[in-house]
Amino acid sequence: MITIALAKGRLADEAISLLRKSGIDCAAFDKPSRKLIFLSPSDDMCFILVKPSDVPTYVDHGIADIGIVGKDTLLEEGHSLYELLDLRYAKCKIVIAGFPDKKNSWITHAHTRVATKYPNIARSYFARLGEMVDIIKLNGSVELGPLTGLSDIILDIMESGKTLAENGLVVLEEICDVSARLVVNRVSLKTKSTAIKELIESIAKVLGD
Amino acid sequence: MDECYNKKLIQDKLRKLFFLSGYEEIETPLLEYIDVFTGVKASIEQEQMMKLFDSDGRILVLRPDITMPIARIAATKLKTSILPIRISYVGNVYRNQKTQSAKQSEIAQAGIELLGLSEPEADAEIIAIAVQGLINLGLKEFQIDIGQVEFFKGLIAQADMGEEWEEEIRTFIDQKNMLGLELVLKESKISDHLKNTIYDFPKLYGNGEMLKDAAKMSSNPKCENAIENIREVYSILKDFGFERYLTFDLGMVQSFNFYTGIVFRGITSELGYPICGGGRYDRLVNEFGYDIPATGFAIGIKRILMVLERQRGLCDIPAVDVLVAYEKNSRQEAYSLISELRNDGYRTEVFIPSKQNYDYISYAQCKKISKTIFVDSKGFHDTLTFRRGEAHDNNSIS
Repeated sequence: MITIALAKGRLADEAISLLRKSGIDCAAFDKPSRKLIFLSPSDDMCFILVKPSDVPTYVDHGIADIGIVGKDTLLEEGHSLYELLDLRYAKCKIVIAGFPDKKNSWITHAHTRVATKYPNIARSYFARLGEMVDIIKLNGSVELGPLTGLSDIILDIMESGKTLAENGLVVLEEICDVSARLVVNRVSLKTKSTAIKELIESIAKVLGD
Repeated sequence: MDECYNKKLIQDKLRKLFFLSGYEEIETPLLEYIDVFTGVKASIEQEQMMKLFDSDGRILVLRPDITMPIARIAATKLKTSILPIRISYVGNVYRNQKTQSAKQSEIAQAGIELLGLSEPEADAEIIAIAVQGLINLGLKEFQIDIGQVEFFKGLIAQADMGEEWEEEIRTFIDQKNMLGLELVLKESKISDHLKNTIYDFPKLYGNGEMLKDAAKMSSNPKCENAIENIREVYSILKDFGFERYLTFDLGMVQSFNFYTGIVFRGITSELGYPICGGGRYDRLVNEFGYDIPATGFAIGIKRILMVLERQRGLCDIPAVDVLVAYEKNSRQEAYSLISELRNDGYRTEVFIPSKQNYDYISYAQCKKISKTIFVDSKGFHDTLTFRRGEAHDNNSIS
């Protein structure tokens, strides 16, 4: 039996639709339900719906063989997993953003304060630049950071850029592209290799179209 | 107590196997100077080591590893010994592990090192002992995943693109991250043929058949020798009868600055991370001044405990054999009996009456001790606490 951990929320819907197109029996999801564990009718697959930042944890421990989650979460949580497919949806960018007047000076002040939901990503990014910054962890609505004076800049994900624009913020630096990825537990890939390989190949075929 | 009993059982089984295989056990100090572990290309990060200072202000660490101290001992005290040197160990190592996957700070390990031989028979020997060890421990199923880091090193050297780029490529291959690989390769200036070969790298895992495909991928001498080496080791292990436990993964490139040839990991579907691992590390002993090749592995004992628990392969602590109770006046006779029983190999416990309100029979029933003997002026009175097969019936006295 293969267990797949899906990030709850709108990402789950996209994931299920992709799995369906790849020929996986997702009938378990047809009825609206508050359940968090779903078994496929033939009992060969189990799906668990978890908080996005927990997907890598379940896969890392081997509780889930496969996980579908955003690259931003993977970068932040830092687990050692096989990252086999880019599923090409939920595309966004990780960016540094702030008020337009910071455009040329956002990184020259010592101890620039950076508000972010991704303290690990922020830490390694600024370490690579060799810059000392104060990283302030927020759990949501990160744009409020510079707006309220909590921080000088933010490190956040950006989809269309609308939220930033509406709050008077601009992109100061693009860090990287992220999208939904398919990760696999390191032991599962070897011990259940046939089944997992098949699954990956069917999904890859759908993506290739 | 159950865990301790089972842990000792695991350690004893492995000790016995290593002993029977001709390995000599060694103990290394718990506290060492940090220099032992910070070689030219350290495979353990400084942040992972638990540090102390001695009275002169020098940095001591709780050993994070036992292989490096053994290499140091081989290069100093064992320099005049005939080669090969076969060493085994059972002990704890200490690491500051970051939060991921239930990693412990105190890690119980058992392992072996084979020093002084570079032949594939040596690599096959240690893998065979690892396999036999897991079989002896009672694991119901497991797999040994074998790689060869020289195959990757050969390809990378051909590309000749510098350490930073090599490290990026290595990370993507290790994660089997095709997208990351694609992006990095796109920007590089190497030949298309080499790009395609590197891109296919993460797919190089599977059974022995995969090795045949891999052989065709590169005519680079380092790569060819690597494939030849891994195929030889495979063939030796096949002769030993272990083929069904083996799979291969040429994309296994973690710690590739430490390892110099065959690498392997033991995995089982009961656990999401490896239960044992090792490989060839020909450069290490030379860092201590003695240029000899080496190969070895370590088994994670806590992880074996977890697997056995999930496979319901753990043992219950065996109960004591006999409980002896006695009247004060018969103490001398009682003690002679107790000594005799113990000399004869019976695990004998003495019942000491105190203010508790149960008698020795109830105590024996509770602790599942099958036989009790009461000693008084009239002699020895045997009682069977329960008949065989009625272990849990606390009410039966016969």
